[in-house]
Amino acid sequence: MIKVADVTKKFGNVLAVDSVTQNIKEGEAVALIGANGAGKSTLIKCILGLLDYKGTIEIQNHDIKENSKFSKSLIGYVPQDPLFYDMKTVNILDFFGSIRGVDKKRINDLLNVVGLEDHKNKLSSELSGGMRQRLSFAIGLLSDPPVLILDEPTSNLDANARGDFLNLVKEHKDQGKTVLFSSHRLDEVYWLADRVLFMKSGRVILDEKPENLATSLGMKVKINLIIPEGRIGDAISILNREGFGSVSRNGSGVYVEVAEGKKLAPLEKLIQGHIPITDFTVQESSMETVIKHIEENGN
Amino acid sequence: METKNVFLIMRKEAGESLRNRWFILYTFCFSALALLVLLFSTMGGEIAGYSGFGRTAASLINLVLLFIPLIAIITGGISISQERENGTLPYLLSHPINKNEIFVGKFLGILITIWFSILLGFGLAGLGVAIRGGEGEISGYLLTVLLSALLAACFLSIGFLVSVYSAKASKAIGISVFLWLLFIILGDLGIMGTTVAMDLGIKQVFVLALLNPAEVFKIASVLVLSPRFEILGPVGVYAVRTFGQQGVFYLLFSIMILWALVPFGYAYLVFTRFRKEEK
Repeated sequence: MIKVADVTKKFGNVLAVDSVTQNIKEGEAVALIGANGAGKSTLIKCILGLLDYKGTIEIQNHDIKENSKFSKSLIGYVPQDPLFYDMKTVNILDFFGSIRGVDKKRINDLLNVVGLEDHKNKLSSELSGGMRQRLSFAIGLLSDPPVLILDEPTSNLDANARGDFLNLVKEHKDQGKTVLFSSHRLDEVYWLADRVLFMKSGRVILDEKPENLATSLGMKVKINLIIPEGRIGDAISILNREGFGSVSRNGSGVYVEVAEGKKLAPLEKLIQGHIPITDFTVQESSMETVIKHIEENGN
Repeated sequence: METKNVFLIMRKEAGESLRNRWFILYTFCFSALALLVLLFSTMGGEIAGYSGFGRTAASLINLVLLFIPLIAIITGGISISQERENGTLPYLLSHPINKNEIFVGKFLGILITIWFSILLGFGLAGLGVAIRGGEGEISGYLLTVLLSALLAACFLSIGFLVSVYSAKASKAIGISVFLWLLFIILGDLGIMGTTVAMDLGIKQVFVLALLNPAEVFKIASVLVLSPRFEILGPVGVYAVRTFGQQGVFYLLFSIMILWALVPFGYAYLVFTRFRKEEK
């Protein structure tokens, strides 16, 4: 669906995208992750035809440079911070709908889909961040394009708006849309992506399934086990004997590090050893720790 | 280029301009001043060969020279730079629309709204003259309206050229105001200064005047309104004697068209061909 072949983009002497080759299949959801300046947004802008580049990019076998208009008609784009003309919501949809040759019925349907029917007469400047992002998504869906490209779409949203927005994207992904998105949040990647591309200095240095990401990187999860005061020493002994790494006392409990996918193991061992566990918390890997890990280990 | 997309951008641009408070204020001021000019210009009888429509049009020339280039060059200046600065241009370009459609649509949309305010000002003043008896030839008045519309196109083109090179609207406004000062305020002084400093002949002074679209408009407007071209001074006399009254008008009219087309064409090329990227 999206073919990126040996794409290179330079800004002066700075190599923003360096010989990237990727093939994103129909219906696949691919996440672009990496530190700021890794080249994620630049690659997205190349795919959208906004930047000139070396190499080839094709959407459904149509070259974005040679057949720019048609290729763009196959893409729905949601930017990080959508900026609209100061018009009413319905007029903005109508404007972009006219560019994409969409009728009024589709516009009304989309207002319902993204939950903006009650706000259709509000000016874009009167919409909240979440509403603006949903409007942007509705614009992206106008011509029902097979490809959705989202550039850090939830970075300016609060938790509720983020959840609503991600559900909306997931629904369309499940309906068969090809999705390419960049994100700084690991939970979004786990929730949406079929594949993760890690970019560093303009290159894709890791191509992995999200469920294998932490494992393949050897990432650890920290578990804080709350144990009665008199049994903490026994718990530490059992965990050390069973070969768990980084076991340490932590106030009223024990900290233990385990590999991703092995979170239950220390709890099972302690229960088998008749150690009562009052409570526990799990500290998952964040995107920052993933990025730091890859940057440090050069994976 | 799809006319449907050009029309869409044109409609959006015209709608935005008509809602813009600065544009409304400008149109109101221009129309109010045009009526004021009408009031003063119809107080006496014939002055220097002008009366009725002719005198009103002659009085409006100075108003046009001050207002139209300023609004046209500034609106043109911010047309693309503002969209580039606030990020709406790359977003628009992520849709199936080309840069050439955006450029032409924007230019026509803004030009139509400026023409609307010109027509409103001249229309109200013309209506006033007609109500008061309508002395003088209306053809000269209509030609002045046409020349004013052309002047707007010239300065809008220059504004667009500024805009395609500017990453920020504030920079575009600064350059536009400087150019307006250069063409309108310093234009006469520049010609006079150069003439004295370099001891130029009449022919050279005439050529120098042709380099400024505002000067060209001024000379052409006076020519279409006055049967006595001597009021243009020695340069006017030289021009009329060399090319004939009609010949000078056609020459000036052609130069104004060139002033509208050349910056437009160059700005179009820069925006659509030379500057391929919109970050």
